[in-house]
Amino acid sequence: MSKQFQFKLVLLGESAVGKSSLVLRFVKDQFDDYRESTIGAAFLTQTVTLEDQTTVKFEIWDTAGQERYKSLAPMYYRNANCAVVVYDITQSASLDKAKTWIRELQRQADPNIVIALCGNKTDLSARRQVTQEEAQKYAEEEGLMWGETSAKSGEGVSEIFTAIAKKLPLTAPPPKTAARGAPGAAGGRGVDLNRQPAPGQNEPCNC
Amino acid sequence: MSARPPPARPHIGVHSSYFSSHSSGAADWAEDDAWDSGSDSESQNPSTSSNNWTPKPVPRPTLNNSSSTLAFSYTHVSAPSPSSYSHKEENQIHKHGWTIVRKSSDQRERRGSGSHEKEGEIGGEVDVEGEMVLGDMEPEIIEHIPFRQDQGTIREDVDEIVNDPLHLISRRLGKAKSEDPISGRASPEGNQSPERLQRERSIRTNRRHRFVNCLLQEDINIGSSPIAVTPVPLLRLCEAQLRKLAWQGIPNDLRPIVWPLLLGYMPLPSPLRSSTLKRKREEYASLVEVTFARDRRGLDQQIWHQIEIDVPRTRPGVRLWMHACTQRSLERILYVWAIRHPASGYVQGINDLVTPFFQVFLSAYIETDVEEFDPTILPPNVLNAIEADSFWCLSRLLDGIQDNYIAGQPGIHRSVKRMAELVARIDPPLAAHLASQNVEFMQFAFRWMNCLLMREISVRNTIRMWDTYLAEGADAFSQFHLYVCSAFLVKWSEKLRGMDFQGIIMFLQSLPTQGWTDHDIEMLLSEAFVLSSTWHNAQSHFSGN
Repeated sequence: MSKQFQFKLVLLGESAVGKSSLVLRFVKDQFDDYRESTIGAAFLTQTVTLEDQTTVKFEIWDTAGQERYKSLAPMYYRNANCAVVVYDITQSASLDKAKTWIRELQRQADPNIVIALCGNKTDLSARRQVTQEEAQKYAEEEGLMWGETSAKSGEGVSEIFTAIAKKLPLTAPPPKTAARGAPGAAGGRGVDLNRQPAPGQNEPCNC
Repeated sequence: MSARPPPARPHIGVHSSYFSSHSSGAADWAEDDAWDSGSDSESQNPSTSSNNWTPKPVPRPTLNNSSSTLAFSYTHVSAPSPSSYSHKEENQIHKHGWTIVRKSSDQRERRGSGSHEKEGEIGGEVDVEGEMVLGDMEPEIIEHIPFRQDQGTIREDVDEIVNDPLHLISRRLGKAKSEDPISGRASPEGNQSPERLQRERSIRTNRRHRFVNCLLQEDINIGSSPIAVTPVPLLRLCEAQLRKLAWQGIPNDLRPIVWPLLLGYMPLPSPLRSSTLKRKREEYASLVEVTFARDRRGLDQQIWHQIEIDVPRTRPGVRLWMHACTQRSLERILYVWAIRHPASGYVQGINDLVTPFFQVFLSAYIETDVEEFDPTILPPNVLNAIEADSFWCLSRLLDGIQDNYIAGQPGIHRSVKRMAELVARIDPPLAAHLASQNVEFMQFAFRWMNCLLMREISVRNTIRMWDTYLAEGADAFSQFHLYVCSAFLVKWSEKLRGMDFQGIIMFLQSLPTQGWTDHDIEMLLSEAFVLSSTWHNAQSHFSGN
């Protein structure tokens, strides 16, 4: 019997680095040159199937990038199992912003959160400002996953989400699938069919 | 802002004491000193005394200002060809699958805009979804033109209109039109008897006449007597009448006049009207000139960067907004507003709020579909007037909701919280279901407040909604909007109560409002009005058990 898991994923990163485009490519395999800016956050889901037939369903919160919306972010990363922090390889300032998000996640988010750093827009590599070496080195120092993608061409997109799926603790039920952090949130949502009585250390308090 | 008097609402008698806070007399109109920035005086720049200023182009290394540069890509639009017709038709049951039918009696020129992201044309068209006729229309005139290459048509009397928008009325009075392309009253039934159509038409004509009488009565009165002795109560009565009429929808052709009046941007008396418009447009011109006097390194980099990112993705896919020329106007409007309001600066979503103003003001000068229009064919002074008028009206609107955009966005947080409390009172089962599914109002209603529902309904719907908001008064965009949002949510109550968390969130972020007509908006506004009458000033009941 194949195992099914569900995880909450949050996308963070500076405005216009391509967070929504990345998700749109991952979820619908589509790309638009111009998409309306995300206000607040958008919610999408996508399921990936691993080689051993394990399926991992991602509940994705795609957040707005503008600084003014920063205060909303904790609501979305609070109970996230994984985060994709996106920068634009043609904008070195966007990597600085990504580093700020990563520091915030390391301080505020679940200590077990899986963080992937993602350099988007490789189709524009002629205008590259962030080298692979620089980003990779930073990711290694911080213990993050790292990859480059092009939401436009699709390059690397499914790879990064699959890699995250593999990195997540698939041997035990995910710590908490509930996005909102309230008890019983997973109930009635048809997920985690293999959910077993959770070992104590994996079950957060039910406060 | 001083206390707002009760607005003229439907079913409420109009008292002569119902005035907007900035219209206490004719002289005040001219002074027009209610701007928040206090920088009006400094911008009385004598160096820009002409209406024909051309704003210094904002330095942009790679962009070309010519009309032929359409910086966009249509995702669903095919080039016009005989064979594209049926193909398009099949594609129309798509995400935004609909057909637009234009009804127009004074020109036999019609167009469809079936591939638009959103339908937002403000002409006299109605929507047809599938087989169901949603508006009072002439079915035989359905026509699909997937993509028009022409640039649109300018009215011959643009110069008169730009100097005095009320020229729009006098011109039409002369033409003695047989029918009015009024925005209101698209009826839900498809099969209507000719008598009923006739009756509705006559109601609309009547309403239009009342608008025109209201606007012209003032004009005539002022014209025949010195301003100083104009009876102030008469001015106020006119404004109250105007608000009452506008609450129920403004005819498309009168909207470019009525909106600036309701916003207090344009005074009603004709001598003041022209001079005020001229002065405010010059003032905006000088603001632009000063702001962009140096090259782009002189701009606030953070603000400019964000605006530069957002402008090309404002209403993507709509021709008007993909023109470099429109985009430069939008950039200037947003940037000048942002630096004059440092507490908020530019916040994403404000770009959306410019578009109804720009489209309404543009519609005054052209005879063709606003969203298909190529603004480069407009005389520069007209384009500058549209831009300036949009800027000042946007400023007036944002004055009422600045809390939404300052750090922490307290206005939005407050509104969302109150909305949650209100919904708990008016639809307890829905509130309980949302709570049981751990849906937080902030997860969907944040955008409803931040973009004033513009991401949920079409621009055309928005424009109709703003008729009522502007009639309500300055704080409608925060106060009345809260009730509209609550009514909007409750409208989907039954569906939502059958959904789980994922279903609810996904449904709320792509609501099936594509086929909404003015009628749907008017129903929503009526429901909001009932809520507002019941619950406003009853806050203590809000958060009760």
